[in-house]
Amino acid sequence: MDFGLSREQEMLRKTVREFAENELRPREAEFSQPEGEWPYDVWNRIAELGLIGLAVPKEYGGSGMGHLARMVAIEEISRVYPGWGAHLRGFGLVPYLLLNHGTEEQKKKYIPRLVKGEIQGSLANTEATGGSDMIGIETTAKLDGDHYIINGRKVMISRSTVSDVFAVTARTGERDRDISAILIEANTPGFQRGRVENLIAHSRTSPVGEFTMTDCRVPVANRVGAEHRGLGVILGAINGAGRTGGAGICLGIAQAAVEIGTKYAKERHLYGKPLTDLQSILFWIGEMERHVVRARWLCYHAAWLLDQGKRPEEIRAEIAMAKLDASEAALHNCLKAIEIHGAYGTATEFGLIRKFKAALDMIAAAGSNNISRLIMSGATVEKY
Amino acid sequence: MDIIVCIKQVPNPEHFSKITIDPQKGTIRREGIPAVVNPLDRHALEEALRIRERFSGKVTAISMGPPQAREALEEALAMGIDDAVLLCDRAFAGADTLATAYALAGAIKKLGKFDLVLCGNETVDGATGQVGPQVAELLGVGHVTYVNKVEFVDGESLIATRTIERGCLKVKVRLPALLAVVREINKFRLPTALSIIEATKKEIKTWTNKDIGAREETIGLSGSPTQVTGGFKLELKRKCEILDDSPEVMAKEAVEKLRELGAI
Repeated sequence: MDFGLSREQEMLRKTVREFAENELRPREAEFSQPEGEWPYDVWNRIAELGLIGLAVPKEYGGSGMGHLARMVAIEEISRVYPGWGAHLRGFGLVPYLLLNHGTEEQKKKYIPRLVKGEIQGSLANTEATGGSDMIGIETTAKLDGDHYIINGRKVMISRSTVSDVFAVTARTGERDRDISAILIEANTPGFQRGRVENLIAHSRTSPVGEFTMTDCRVPVANRVGAEHRGLGVILGAINGAGRTGGAGICLGIAQAAVEIGTKYAKERHLYGKPLTDLQSILFWIGEMERHVVRARWLCYHAAWLLDQGKRPEEIRAEIAMAKLDASEAALHNCLKAIEIHGAYGTATEFGLIRKFKAALDMIAAAGSNNISRLIMSGATVEKY
Repeated sequence: MDIIVCIKQVPNPEHFSKITIDPQKGTIRREGIPAVVNPLDRHALEEALRIRERFSGKVTAISMGPPQAREALEEALAMGIDDAVLLCDRAFAGADTLATAYALAGAIKKLGKFDLVLCGNETVDGATGQVGPQVAELLGVGHVTYVNKVEFVDGESLIATRTIERGCLKVKVRLPALLAVVREINKFRLPTALSIIEATKKEIKTWTNKDIGAREETIGLSGSPTQVTGGFKLELKRKCEILDDSPEVMAKEAVEKLRELGAI
């Protein structure tokens, strides 16, 4: 059993950490402003460093470094600014979807541009009826010659204000599961971006919002995968790139919290000695580390399995466990680090409250924790 | 233009607080401290790459150190250099700056023709700033230290701007030459995912003293006219003195005291 990262992955970690520390950390306050233009320059840098295409083969403009490398990159960015970790996760969804289910034409048309950062893509499944209830969606795509006429409204869509292409789910038949995945470009007549949600970690860097589609004519050639088989297509991407990415975000938050908490406990003196001399605080520190180490192994293992060629549906339980455990580690570690800081814990200058807000957002994001529980538990019952 | 960059693997400055001194031996304990490429050497690598991008040519990095120093060369390759040589031999161990310079100069001579040698002005661990000039002397070429800008006037010489106290000095130097650079010279690039993959596929040559043929008495401990005989941790003690008078008098007194202590 080899538990080590390869030299390539280690070097990538170093690059991403340096990028995050030098180019993201100094701009934390700026990114957190509620208003302002989306920081296109950071997106360009992320693309330039090759981080969008880590799990994309070279023939489509990526580096083919793999899912574990992608996990490490998301972890490192989230350790500094989880909002950008969330974007890096998001940038990988449409390429993943196309790699696994797209036609050669779709792959060539979109993936290299998505990887280079020329265009952005988002997955758009959630509707007012909910995100987890995938067969409850109401958006329709009616066949009209070689086009679909799409009507519907998508909500809680990441980067709704800036993405150029959306992979939407739409009802293409009468049966419950007759849902297809279709690519729609934002400049399609009838496509209208809507309100942006005021989520707890909302900022100019993380526009999560809605859009409507009114009689949007989209070529049938834009359908990804077979007709009526869109659920599997989208679920594969949510599982293989979305939930794993979400796990990476949580892992980065959990790591940041243990570092911030421990550093403060070593510096802060109470009763003439550092907080680390108080056993209750010392134990919290150990517990924080235990949470992050355990989550890391689950996360890296899930990503490693994907690199070994496992299909996401084969390792649903491993991916679900990784996301759930990392999410809980992030919440636990943020709370403990805040508690170690005493009244300063919620002061914005320590950056903990920002991380905690991101950890709260991650409970529902990237496939909610309860859905992860459902997958994990179902797989366990099936196993024994 | 053929450029050679001398680089060194050093303990990560961010972890300097974890460095301890062995009370018995008086030596520095570096165990568990992650190693990085000396920060100024990264600026030297960047400058070499920029010059190559303008004039074409080849960039080769050389490092002397234990086997793990190849990691530094891997990182240099990931930045985009063409070739890397690791000088690794027990015979090089214990070298001071002069013995290090002999080994590096020997390797540069073995590489053959070169137009420019670049290095960081000093390392974060030794901080002597001597190796660059010593290498230049041994190669018989001119050198400029504290370089913050390089301009090429013709094919035969360049103008290096060097940082001096309260200003800059422009120095024209004939090629080949050695430049020791400071951080103001550029902002170095980060390796990309693709360049990392390419770097790990490239070969790093490992040369021993047999390959460069330096005389035994010039390298390693035996070639070192200076030797570190011990180390100790600086004990910083604080002293507090409270002045109590009108602001004007206190300010005057404070300045006097700072002068007495040599702080200003």
